Amino acid sequence: MSQPLLEVQDLAIRIRGTGRNLVDGVSFGVMPGETLCIVGESGCGKSLTALALMGLLASPPLEIAGGKALFQGQDLLGLTRAQFSRLRGDRLAMIFQEPMSALNPALRIGEQIAESVRRHRGASHRAARARALEMLEKVRIPAPETRLDEFPHQLSGGMRQRAMIAMALANDPALIVADEPTTALDVTIQAQILDLMRRLRDEAGTALIMITHDLGVVAEMADKVAVMYAGRVVETGTMAQVFGDPQHPYTIGLMSSMPAFGAGAGRLVTIPGMVPPISAMPPGCRFASRCPFRLPRCEAPPPLVQAGDHQAACWRAPLDALEVTA
Amino acid sequence: MSPRQVILEARALERRFVTARPLFREATVVHAVSGVDLAVEEGETFAIVGESGCGKSTLARVLTRLIPASGGSVRYAGRDLGGLKPAQIRALRREVQFIFQDPFSSLNPRMTVGALIEEPLRIHRIGTGPERRARVAQLLERVGLPAQAAGRYPHEFSGGQRQRIGIARALASGPKVVVGDEPVSALDVSIQAQVVNLLADLKREFGLTLVIIAHDLAVIRHMADRVAVMYLGQIVELAPAADLFEVPRHPYTEALVSAIPLPDPGARRARARVAGELPDPTAPPAGCRFHPRCPYAIGRCRTDAPQLSPRDAGGRQVACHRAEELALAGLGSVAAARSPAARKRFDLYRQARAAQAQTDQPPAEGGPIQQGD
Repeated sequence: MSQPLLEVQDLAIRIRGTGRNLVDGVSFGVMPGETLCIVGESGCGKSLTALALMGLLASPPLEIAGGKALFQGQDLLGLTRAQFSRLRGDRLAMIFQEPMSALNPALRIGEQIAESVRRHRGASHRAARARALEMLEKVRIPAPETRLDEFPHQLSGGMRQRAMIAMALANDPALIVADEPTTALDVTIQAQILDLMRRLRDEAGTALIMITHDLGVVAEMADKVAVMYAGRVVETGTMAQVFGDPQHPYTIGLMSSMPAFGAGAGRLVTIPGMVPPISAMPPGCRFASRCPFRLPRCEAPPPLVQAGDHQAACWRAPLDALEVTA
Repeated sequence: MSPRQVILEARALERRFVTARPLFREATVVHAVSGVDLAVEEGETFAIVGESGCGKSTLARVLTRLIPASGGSVRYAGRDLGGLKPAQIRALRREVQFIFQDPFSSLNPRMTVGALIEEPLRIHRIGTGPERRARVAQLLERVGLPAQAAGRYPHEFSGGQRQRIGIARALASGPKVVVGDEPVSALDVSIQAQVVNLLADLKREFGLTLVIIAHDLAVIRHMADRVAVMYLGQIVELAPAADLFEVPRHPYTEALVSAIPLPDPGARRARARVAGELPDPTAPPAGCRFHPRCPYAIGRCRTDAPQLSPRDAGGRQVACHRAEELALAGLGSVAAARSPAARKRFDLYRQARAAQAQTDQPPAEGGPIQQGD
């Protein structure tokens, strides 16, 4: 077994001066070339986790309350701003949901990509521009020579996302963190971008952390899955394990809530209520207030334990019967 | 399927938007809705799907007379909405209501939830003050919110709860038709499922006809009886929901269906069957509007605009020259075989939810009101 490329241990994020952690005890690893999907609903902490890894947490008011994130042996959480800006866009790259807010509106597409190549590789202007063109061709932007000299607002949403992927990949990063990269796109464009990301990832052997709320996207992209709820990882395993043998009541409820093709009409089986606000978060299992399987024991926080062939943070795992028989 | 009464009907419906004319140049005209014919039947859930810019939201607004048509006609219960006076339009609102995607931008932030839901009753002079307030409490309870919600303001609620408020307000005047523009799109999956169920229950209970605009095909497949697929302002296919997804007949429908990422690792991969993006709607392509992106286009498609065919025996209509000869791929056998372990868990979860609903007295389904959210 080779070394993990990134190993996150016990990551915790909170609002400075408050007690409860928004992200609490999150651990996962990513091997070189592997794709990990972090899936969950609004407020589950998936985006905060991604931002923390990229050194982009809005601090203050947010702060890292503990944990480690070892990337090629270096703890990302302890890096200074200067160290981070050397790393970002080079070995570590990010793709955002809304490319318009991530691209500089006043810089031509070509210049934005070339700038990052010059900066991290010390390439000449000419070489950097050649690399920018090569990247636009790679992400299959039509008429790349023309696009090179256009501004972000002249591109459609799908094309902007392609340009951002070109920029992220320009320096052959070892790891890309993509936060909902296709959420803002129409379904046919989303399929194009997922195709593209799969192809480029496989060609370059880049590892990918993909943040998404869409279990469909997870099934398309993931090797491994981490399901997050209210700041904690509640279930993790390979994609086949999590989809084939879901263990945590939240994962099962989330999958049941999705209108499935073929299942036809009838009522959807739902998760009742909603995520409690952080100020009212129960100290034990954070899903307990909505969970149909809860026990008195759920007032203590459940550790991530072996459940079936993977891991779940549930006192009832492995979940085999309606009633507790122990 | 027995023929039902048509309640809402569009004929050759047009809606153009004209931009302000720049100096020395022609104004640009966008044909957001371009020659749409459709008939919504009483009691059905009729869905309009398509990608951004296809004109589906505009169509919904023209159908409900929120904006006037530029050509063609809309008939509600046999009455032409074209020549209505403002007072008559107000009267129409009692029977045809609208639910917006983001209820926060459609709910006046300075009004309490109670006043918001009561407003349609006041406007239409329904009931006395106490009767109206009783009705508000009843509606709140029906959409899964506690009665105290009436005294609060919209900002105190989560997105899912605000959508419930929007639904209660839409139902207040006792409408026959409710049009929802992406009513669940902005919601998280678990909340979305609650609202989808709520809409289904209310539809049955109040005998509503629903017109749902959406881009999420899984939700549509679940909710709708019939679906109209729009592309660049026109309907390219109209069919019963199950058939449309099973065996699409228009190449664009095939592209939409095949692009859906299915939440099942054993299923087929989402495929981008069409290259390129939506053309500029101010200058739609000649012939079939889809031909520049269509993998099956032939010479005729470039020059000759196909018309929506009359309803066939299965109630299907399609606007494609090659509809008869093409065999297009749908979801077909996707009815994904879940693993036995997963199936067992889903069954367990369903049973546990049923037991939970019976035994404990959970807070309103919509969840508690959060202070200062």
